[in-house]
Amino acid sequence: MNRLLALVKREFWENKGAFRTTPLVFAGVLLGAQVMFLITFNHFDNEFQSLKELLHFISTQDVALRSKVLYEINMSLSVLFAMILAFVVFFYLLGSLYDDRKDRSILFWKSLPASDTMTIGSKLLSAMVVAPLIFWVVYILTHILIMLLFSVVILTLGENPWTLLLSLGSPFKVWSLVLASWFAQAIWALPLYGWLMLVSSFAPRIPLLFAILPPVVLGVLELWIDFLKTFTVNDNLFGLFGKWFANSPLIMSADNHGDEFGVALGAPLTSEFDHAVTISNMLDRLFSSDMLINLVIAAIFLGAALWLRRRATES
Amino acid sequence: MNNVIEARGLTKRYRRTVAVDNIDLQIPAGRIVGLIGPNGAGKTSALKAILGLATYEGDLNVLGKSPARDRAALMEEVCFIADVAVLPRWIRVWQLIELTEHIHPKFSREKCLQYLSSTKVTLDHRVKQLSKGMVAQLHLAIVMAIDVKLLVLDEPTLGLDILYRKQFYTNLLNDYFDEERTIVITTHQVEEVEHILSDLIFIKDGRIALDCSMDEVQESYIELMVAPDKAAAAREYGPLYERELFGRHIFLYENANREQLKALGELHTPSVADLFVATMNGGDS
Repeated sequence: MNRLLALVKREFWENKGAFRTTPLVFAGVLLGAQVMFLITFNHFDNEFQSLKELLHFISTQDVALRSKVLYEINMSLSVLFAMILAFVVFFYLLGSLYDDRKDRSILFWKSLPASDTMTIGSKLLSAMVVAPLIFWVVYILTHILIMLLFSVVILTLGENPWTLLLSLGSPFKVWSLVLASWFAQAIWALPLYGWLMLVSSFAPRIPLLFAILPPVVLGVLELWIDFLKTFTVNDNLFGLFGKWFANSPLIMSADNHGDEFGVALGAPLTSEFDHAVTISNMLDRLFSSDMLINLVIAAIFLGAALWLRRRATES
Repeated sequence: MNNVIEARGLTKRYRRTVAVDNIDLQIPAGRIVGLIGPNGAGKTSALKAILGLATYEGDLNVLGKSPARDRAALMEEVCFIADVAVLPRWIRVWQLIELTEHIHPKFSREKCLQYLSSTKVTLDHRVKQLSKGMVAQLHLAIVMAIDVKLLVLDEPTLGLDILYRKQFYTNLLNDYFDEERTIVITTHQVEEVEHILSDLIFIKDGRIALDCSMDEVQESYIELMVAPDKAAAAREYGPLYERELFGRHIFLYENANREQLKALGELHTPSVADLFVATMNGGDS
């Protein structure tokens, strides 16, 4: 356990830039944008509509509606962080078993009494738990700072920030749902993570190319053969990927839920799962037969990555 | 069985070539063994098999473990420096120490810091900021602070200047080695290690060309330097190898009669380098 934690710490130290600095810089950019927005709005105050009038207008609206809108806005903020997180994890995993082979420091890591299984486990753990957790904390901090910023503005304009902003939109519920969704997504994405680690462990150079080219070539070939045979385009690798993406438990888009419009899990293009943002809908995905197939594929990829890692120092 | 390394029929094949060809090897505890051979002789392949870094054929037993199956467990008892400059470049010295401390049960932070205090390496340095010599010092400080039974050094001083190289071996000998420990060193710079070795193993074309202790080298091998007119007589005694230096002929003999040779010229104990050249060239003729 101690060893595993040390290895995870190592991943954090090596990837501080991606894991910590990236979300912080992004948070800074978002906050800067908010400030610019407020200044811009204030600047054109008299010509259009003053912020004060706007706030007053909002305060006369139905509380339930206001709360609903804030809830959606709070949750959409997480989508921006999730996008950056996806990029970070993608490139982290692509380099995870490649970088130390390239700079030969693998010979040092292999001189430590930590098994290859544990090494791969530590990297997977960093991608699935550590990175999402850090992004989540930064997302919450950003959210709090934005709320503080708007509270001050509301206060200076003579309105009550508690009734207008802070007491609405259930931030704690939003934060919990976002974290649950990100962890669920980490499990849902295991086949992709496994594929990236497999590529990372065998690519002689440019892992990005090896990660993307084979599936694309395979998919195009599939499409072509399918087309030649039946003159139609049926299920193929691209379709499977699309379905996997659309069904994912990640909060990333908006959808009509009955007569309401709001944030959704995955892309609401498929009908196998309910896309409304609830824990039970996330669990539905994780306990589905699709997930079982995902796990099998992930196990094959990760097993192959481990096999290659054991032999990484051969030549 | 107090052999630290035991190999029987150790063989390593790459696609077409045989890098290690059916080697038998016993290395007992408390020795400093020089594994010496020309480039491509199979030294590194043999070491990789011993360290569990490569697959192999044959029986191999290191400290009672099978390297191919138990690399992680074996690494609790074995340390190695494979070539200089394999420490990760991004890491800071304090991170490296903390990591080793948590992963290696036999690492002593105090010892490591003590070794480092005599160098210019500080805890806040990143490895990439250090010179090649300082990286070697750092790696050695880490390795020496780990209480293991076997230390394997594969070209540990490659590319270092003479001051660092000398100091490297001095530290190793004075602060680290004792009769419980075994050190295996491969290097090209034979002259530098010959005075610290207790045993010699020459490897040539994947096979062992010579395996003996330094005492045996002194007993069995003798070098004779003669004037050109005595060269023919010297050849009569069947030298392993002959070379010319400043117009004098130098012959190397194995198990020769010293009294007879003495009559022809001066006798010396051969250096490991001379013995190496003789062994490597001798087999071909």
